[in-house]
Parts: sequence; structure tokens; C-alpha cells
Amino acid sequence: MILLAYILVALVALAIIGLSTTHRCMNSACIIHAFLYLVLTVYVLVFRQVPVASFFIGSQYFFMDNFGLFEVLIASVIFTCAAVYAGGYVESLLRSGELEKSSLKLFYTSWSMLLLVLVLAFFCDNLALFWICAELTTILSAMLVAILSARENIDAAIKYIFIASASMLFSFVGLIFLFEASRRVLADGGTLNWTVLMQHATVLPSGMLVAAFALVFIGFAAKSGIFPFHTWLPEAHAKAPSAVSAILSAVLLNVGIFGIIRVYAIVHQTPAAATMAPVLGLFGFFTVAIAAFSMLPQKNLKKLIAFSSVENMGIILIGIAVSTPLALFWVLFHIMAHSLTKASLFFSAGILHRQYRSRLSTETVDEIWDVFRLQPLAAWGIIIGGLAITGMPLFPIFFSKLFILLSLGTVSLPALFVLLFLLFVAGAALGYFVITAFSQVTAPGIPSDIEPYLTPLTMKIPLVFLICLIVLLGIMFTQGEISFLDRIVQELRF
Amino acid sequence: MIEPAIIQGVIKILLVCVIITAAYIISTRNLISLVSMYSLQSVTLACLALALYAYELAPMLLAIAVITFLSKALIIPYFIATIQEKIRIKRDIEFHFLNPTSSLVLSMALMLVVYMALTRILQGTPSRGENFLFFGAVIGLSLMLMGMMVMLSRKRALTKVLGFLSMENGVLIFGMFVTELPFIIEFLIVIDLIILVLLTTILTVGIDSTLEDYHKRLHRFHLLQGEEDRA
Repeated sequence: MILLAYILVALVALAIIGLSTTHRCMNSACIIHAFLYLVLTVYVLVFRQVPVASFFIGSQYFFMDNFGLFEVLIASVIFTCAAVYAGGYVESLLRSGELEKSSLKLFYTSWSMLLLVLVLAFFCDNLALFWICAELTTILSAMLVAILSARENIDAAIKYIFIASASMLFSFVGLIFLFEASRRVLADGGTLNWTVLMQHATVLPSGMLVAAFALVFIGFAAKSGIFPFHTWLPEAHAKAPSAVSAILSAVLLNVGIFGIIRVYAIVHQTPAAATMAPVLGLFGFFTVAIAAFSMLPQKNLKKLIAFSSVENMGIILIGIAVSTPLALFWVLFHIMAHSLTKASLFFSAGILHRQYRSRLSTETVDEIWDVFRLQPLAAWGIIIGGLAITGMPLFPIFFSKLFILLSLGTVSLPALFVLLFLLFVAGAALGYFVITAFSQVTAPGIPSDIEPYLTPLTMKIPLVFLICLIVLLGIMFTQGEISFLDRIVQELRF
Repeated sequence: MIEPAIIQGVIKILLVCVIITAAYIISTRNLISLVSMYSLQSVTLACLALALYAYELAPMLLAIAVITFLSKALIIPYFIATIQEKIRIKRDIEFHFLNPTSSLVLSMALMLVVYMALTRILQGTPSRGENFLFFGAVIGLSLMLMGMMVMLSRKRALTKVLGFLSMENGVLIFGMFVTELPFIIEFLIVIDLIILVLLTTILTVGIDSTLEDYHKRLHRFHLLQGEEDRA
């Protein structure tokens, strides 16, 4: 029944957005929507017996397990922050005429619907239903990318839709194979119900499972920006409004990874895993390599951050390929740490984008001047976020990267060194960009013609909050957190 | 009751028709006949579902036939045709990478690959046993790959949409012949598809458009200047 509460909250939020006329009102509805989801999720985690079988015809379509709740928790934190941030950011888009007032309602409606569909996707027990929800997230997020209705935004959105949806069709063929595989061995007909498939995973025919997983992987890889389907990602993430980039990078990429982990958990229990794990690892390596070397010559901040997302998805994939319980534990931790860090980076980039707006487009070189004088908070946000994302000690990604690397080392030592080198390249690229861009200062005495952009408080608060959260996660490791992640690993039967 | 052998024959003929429409979609340059060809393909699909219904008597197939006919043969083509009139483009002349002849040769090769792959994967399933069911599965996957080729090789976004749609038709054929999915899933997929097509075509207006006001809007953001300087 608790799922009804989620849907009800979304409906109320959508109704408020539909009825309201002011920007402030719509924005508040979105903030409250996401915050209530956060409250609901924490309530379920603390007070309810997980997994919760949910409503809907014998509860075979939806359920809430720890893994789903974990993803929803991340999503609701990011969405709350991003909604607060959007308050100031969208206001400034409106003022500069980049977003038309008439598109405002569409923007917030898609925003709220996206959150609802995402949560439903994470709570799906039926894999085909999950597929449909994932498709809907593509459509809604593409709408948020295209909302500025400049030609380059529409280009990016269309590219995103075409690549993601076409690949997702392959996934669906994979799901048909999975259904057929289960129909052959289960007495009461085929099913795509994840819980049932997990129970009977060991008897599923392994040849068909390989084909099914390979096809399913194509679709979800495209959704999470894995090589060679990553081409849409830098464009869409760089051209979307920064509040949207943050949710694209921090939440939507997780949908793809979520799907891969769910289906891989089934494959993992069969001999087919031996064939699939190296393939996953290989794709992971290619992804990290492509991302790292694309980051090197990158002169545009948002594109650089977008490529860093691709890199992190590659690391996660490598962690899944290692597929020991320890590796999976740190993969989950990495998903969380990456989401929070990436959102904070995009928030900072958004402030810089407003500051240097007229000179900044996605194709040209960023002209960042006097950044510490004009936008000290955003500058430090980029520096701290950059340190965190490259995995410096004291930040959470340090631990997850370290342990994923260590687990990889137990499988293959050369692979470990290759990955280490690639991570070094990526870190160097980020560092090089920050040092060159942030050290551009007009000489003293010469008057600068750049007006400082007055960053509204609503854009500063979420940024500071996220940075504090990252630091806290890096230095504190609570027992509850560990046992929560442990429960997920057990649920996935690794 | 019609004799099964006749139904199987009809199904095989219909499958061949599907392939012919796909070949036409790959090779034609005329956008208007592209849409009507897609519509024809969807009608063939609905007929296939009906023929399968006569064979297996699963009521689900009847529902699929009705939904397919309504959404894909009527609503979506009508919508695309309206958009087409609006953006005043009649032909899609440019091809990337592949010209029509080589795409046709390539699609034949693809069919062969699909045939060999499915022979291995579907070993021992009922659809491998029945000759025409297996034929349907092969045609379905091939149609999907041919649709993908259209998406890759065409330049106009609207043609790409049609490529995507015929990919989706391929998946539907494949699903019908290999297995039977729960109805609610099929239904939701169709809804999902309609939304997707609506959105992409609306966005396409922005890309393919020659409309005056759209250009005006771009001027305001100084996005068009670079292009015009070059022109």
C-alpha cells in the first residue's frame, strides 16, 4: 500500500503545478514532492519489514526491496537538492530569455513525472514493467534536455532518444528470450518476475541466458552511457540546464546500472556468468579508456564532467564483472558516492555557466577569468568535487575505487595496472583543466569588464549541503550503512 | 475451421510481404510513400496477428491485431503525415555510409546471420520445432536490424523515426512468434511507443523545419549566426 502513497504525492504535486501560475509555486511543489519521497523512503527503511510486497494483482508487478529503496533514497536526495537549485537557476534562465515563460509548466510537469516514473522503475518486480518505466524516463528526461528549444538542445535530445530507445529495443528482445527460457523450465508458464526468476535461476538454460543477457545489456548499457553507446551522453549532459544535468548524471545513469545488476544477479547464479563476466569487464575497460582520453583535450567544463560520468560507469561495470560480494558492496557504495559528487559538480558548473553565460557555449572553449574573485563558492565546489571524483583520500570515492581496484587485483594484476593508469589519465585531465582555467586572472590595475553574477541563495545551499554530505560520508562509516549495503548484496545473492 | 496448412501458407506469404515493405523503406527517397509504406507494414502485421489467432486461438493475439491496426496503421502515420506537411519536406535524398543497393545487400547478409544465430539459441524450444514459427522469428529480428540500418543511414530525423518504428514492428513480430507475453505488457508498450513518437516528431519540427518563426527564435539566441556566415 505504501506505493500508493508515492503515487498520491506525485499526483498532488502535479495538480499543484498544473494549477499554479507563478514559478515559485511550481518550484516549491517540486521541492516538497522530492522531500516527501525522501521521508517516505526513510520511513519504509526504518519502520517496515523489507522487502515490502506491494499492491497490484497478487503483488507480482511491484515490490520494494533494499536495492530499490537504496536507489530511491539516492534519487530523492538528489531531486530535493536539484529542485531547490532549479529555483534560482530557472529564474535566471527566464530572465535571460533562454527559457520561455510558457515552457515553465511543461518543465516542472516533466520534472515531477520523471521523479515518479523513476521511483516506479526502481520498485518494479516485473522486468518488462521496469523496461517500460526506463523507456519513459528516457522520454521525460529528453524533454527536459530539449526544453530550452535551441537547436543544439533539440539535436542532443533527439540523439539521446534515438540511441537509448533503439538500444532498449534490443533489451526487449533479450527479455523475450528470458521469458522463453523461464517458460521452458517453470511449471506454471513463463514469467519476467524478478523474484521468481531469482528463485529458479539455477535451472534456467544457460545458452539462452547468455543470449538474453547480452541483448539486455545492450539496452541498459546505452542508458548508462557505456562504450560504444555513450555518444549521446556528453552532448545531452552538457547542453541540458545544469539542474537537469545533475539529475541526468546522478540518477538516470543509475537506472541503466540498476537494470544490468538486476539481470546479472540472475545470470550470476548459472554457469553463463563465466562467459559474461569477462565481456562486462572488457566493456568497462573500453568505457574508462574512451572517457579518460576524451577528457584530456576537453576544454568545456560541463562536457568534461559528463565524460567523467562515463568513466565512473566504466568503473562500476568493472566492479560488477569482478562479481565477488566485496566488489558488489563497493560498487553499490560507488554508485551512491558518484551520484552525490557528480550532482555537486554540476551545481558548481551551473553557477559558472550563469557567470560566463554569453561567452560560454558547449562547442567553444570556456573563457573562465578571475573565477576566485567572481565566484569563489563555485570555484571551490569544482575543486573539492574534482578531488572527490578523482578519488582522493577522505572522500567516499577513494574507498570505493580502492576496494574495486583491490578486488580486480585478485582476478588479474595486469588489468589492475591498466585501470590505474587510465584513472590517472582521467584525474590528470581534470586537474589540468582546473589549473589552467582557474589561474586565468586579469592583471592588477586593468579594470575587468565582467560583471559578477549574484548567485541566489537557493543555488548555493544545495551545493554546500552536498559537499558537506560527501565529506561526511568519506570520514564517517556507520554500522547502519554497512549492514544496509550488506543486505542488498545478500538480496542479490552474490 | 480453416485448415492449419493453409494458415501456415498465408502466414509465410505475409512474412514475405513484411520483408518487401522493409526493403522499400530502406531504399526509397520519397518521404510520403515512406509513411504509407510503414502504414502498409503495420496492416500486414495486424493480419499476421489475425492469422496466428486462427492458428493458436489465443485471444491475446486478437487484441494485438486491433491495437496494432489502430495505433500503427492509423494514428501514428496520420500524425507523421501532418507533421510532414507542416515542415514541407518531401524527399530525403541524403544517405550516410550506405547507399540503397549496399543496404539491401547488407540486409540479406543480416538475415542469414540472424538465421544462424537463432538456430543455435532457440534449439529445443517449440518455436524451433514448428517451421513457420521459426521463420517468423527470423523475419522479426531481421526487420528490427533493417530498421536500425534505416536509422543509421538516413539523415532526416523524420526518416529515423520511421526506422525506429519498423524496428519496433520487428520486435513485435519476434515476440508474437517466439513466445506469448502478458497482455498488460504489450498494451503498455504501445502506449509508450505512441508517446515516444509524438515527442520525437514534435522535436523533429525543430530540426527539419524550414518554418520562419523557428529561425527567428534561433536568431535571438545567436545560434544561427555561425551557420549563416558559412552559407
